[in-house]
Amino acid sequence: MKVALTGNPNSGKTTLFNAITGKIEHVGNWAGVTVDKKEGDIKKSLNKSSLSMTAVDLPGAYSMSPFTSEENITRDFVKNEKPDVLINIVDSTNLNRSLFFTTQLLELGIPVVVALNKTDMSRKKKTVLDVARLSKALNCPVVETVSTKSSQNGLEELILKVVEVRGSAQSVPYISEKVDFSQAQSVQSSDRRRYDFVKELVGKVETRKIKSNQQTRQDAVDRVVANKWLGIPVFMLVMWSVFSISQTHVGPLFADILVGWIDGFYVLVESLLGGDVSPVLKALLLDGIIGGVGAVVGFLPLIMVLFFMLALLEDCGYMARVALVMDRFFKKVGLSGKSIIPMVIGTGCAIPGVMATRTIKNERQRRTTAMLTPFMPCGAKLPVIALFAGIFFNDAAWVGTSMYFLAIGIIILGALIVVRITGEKNARSYFILELPEYRFPSFKRAAVSTMSRAKAFIIKAGTIILLCNAAVQIMQTFNWQLQVVAEGAENTSILASISSPFAFVLIPLGFGAWQLAAAAITGFIAKENIVGTLAVVFSITNFIDTEELALISGSADVAGIMGLTTVAALSYLVFNLFTPPCFAAIGAMNSEMGDKKWLWAGIGFQFGMGYVASFLTYQIGSLFSTGSFGQGFIPGLVLVSTLVGYVVYLMKKGDSKTSLKLSVSAKGV
Amino acid sequence: MSNAYANLFENENTFFKTLSEADVNVEYVIQDIDTEDDEMKSFLFSLGCFKGETLTVISILAENFVISIKDGRYSIDSDLAEVILI
Repeated sequence: MKVALTGNPNSGKTTLFNAITGKIEHVGNWAGVTVDKKEGDIKKSLNKSSLSMTAVDLPGAYSMSPFTSEENITRDFVKNEKPDVLINIVDSTNLNRSLFFTTQLLELGIPVVVALNKTDMSRKKKTVLDVARLSKALNCPVVETVSTKSSQNGLEELILKVVEVRGSAQSVPYISEKVDFSQAQSVQSSDRRRYDFVKELVGKVETRKIKSNQQTRQDAVDRVVANKWLGIPVFMLVMWSVFSISQTHVGPLFADILVGWIDGFYVLVESLLGGDVSPVLKALLLDGIIGGVGAVVGFLPLIMVLFFMLALLEDCGYMARVALVMDRFFKKVGLSGKSIIPMVIGTGCAIPGVMATRTIKNERQRRTTAMLTPFMPCGAKLPVIALFAGIFFNDAAWVGTSMYFLAIGIIILGALIVVRITGEKNARSYFILELPEYRFPSFKRAAVSTMSRAKAFIIKAGTIILLCNAAVQIMQTFNWQLQVVAEGAENTSILASISSPFAFVLIPLGFGAWQLAAAAITGFIAKENIVGTLAVVFSITNFIDTEELALISGSADVAGIMGLTTVAALSYLVFNLFTPPCFAAIGAMNSEMGDKKWLWAGIGFQFGMGYVASFLTYQIGSLFSTGSFGQGFIPGLVLVSTLVGYVVYLMKKGDSKTSLKLSVSAKGV
Repeated sequence: MSNAYANLFENENTFFKTLSEADVNVEYVIQDIDTEDDEMKSFLFSLGCFKGETLTVISILAENFVISIKDGRYSIDSDLAEVILI
């Protein structure tokens, strides 16, 4: 049997779903975390019946008339797929609004069980609820639940009730008389009566000690963190601590230990192989597979700490406040405050980040946000940042932090350009967002989510990244005649001949070596590959603990091996961070944009932006550090000017569209 | 079209103030939602923000209004505050 979880946004559907199925779907304390439906089998320990039960988690909706596209999913599923039972998760701190949707669900003819969730929070506010009376008035079972708790959470009783009501016919407590759905007036007046019914009902079953429009401590906190002047510094401080803890303080501590183990493993395998194995095979196994994958896995602790910190951030309720603070700035560049949420999620991984754009109502804002979110350095780019900061900048914290702020700068610039090209400079859209209550973030939930993401990372390292590194190792060992390339003739390898043409284009950016081009190319498969490929092509196995490098590669000077100046290294970092994301994220962009023209424009824009930013970094940096421009300045300048000129042309064209639209609307009036 | 505009000018809305002029911590009765954006109107409805309901401005932050409708807190921008008549 199929059980669908429905309810208002942020009522705790996914938390309840995770609790009854044992799955680890993404949760957060703001409206609109879940944008797609998820399925899972209900745990045997909860399901006392002999039936097999599947739960379907649906995106939150305020009513059966959808407003955003993810609400459509909910309505369509409930109406078309006919689940056997609906669990309606009701936020017990906001019955007045939630029960409106409940009354709509009760009319569908599918048995409903109400899960009165977050009862710990309503109890804390000393709100008393008459559950028996509520159940009687609604004509359906009502179970009190606290899905964040692991025991005595009411979930067993909930599932019991679900089995009980299956196939039963519940009589509708409130019958909306014949509604003519083609008449907006008729729908509205019936909905109004529905609200009257809810209001009367809540008046009977709820006794509040604190009136909901009273000022609370929560509101006082809002006045600080979302303050006109303090809002931005607070946000910067929060993000800075997230990154400095993961990248400079706690992360590297664990990374050192892990890298020690990986090196030990390398040495162990080397001794096991002995001297009889062919050198080609030995190099493939040691340098290609263990070295390449090890270089990537070594950064796992940094990524895990980052994921942990982000999970805490998403859990406490701060995200909605960031959207509030950013709204007025993002509005100026044609985006919405909601655009910041995908970007913050994007610092973990661009794919869920891009998917989170679905809660943005305005199509152009949604597509622009999907196009710009991947500029935010994701968890997979973290190893690249950490690597370059470690090797070339002596682990300076400013390198990582400045990359995030550069990303924000690029996003704002990108948004400005897009809004002018589309000619919607004067388009206005409303902003409304629910402010969830703050709560102390759960370390357990954050740890669980971190472990599941770490697992995904390890699987990725053991599959895609392993294969890529092996392929890179093979391609650099052999030439096109399939002979092993001689020492000193590395330029004749398959890998070198494929990546050399690309390297040529990269000369004006300061890194025209084929090895670096190859790493940038494999980065499109997965960004972690950049580190893996660099490890393979330069035969370096350890990027983190450079003291131990001497043991393995015979040199402590990774920077020397790569042959990059500090400025060129920064430029290479900028290039890898701000060119298009990995293919998987491009796929997510494709599905959220739903338009090929936007997709290709987006990818083109990302390439152009990465190239220009990298060019400026290298050439201006060179001018300051050496007194003259770097290599390939003139041809690079020609290319960059062409790119910029084309964008300016498109913007001018967009402007004329704007004035055209204005004159049309002027005539309309 | 012209009729709709004529109505707009003649209707009683001109006598009400908008939410953007509201005082903090005062409970107001919503008189109308004055927008042509029907989707937004029905969305506001599903939150419980419609003619005859009450709302309170909790604070004004960064050009946004934090309002209390039913038992929830929402942040709305000044453009949206302009269309809520009280």
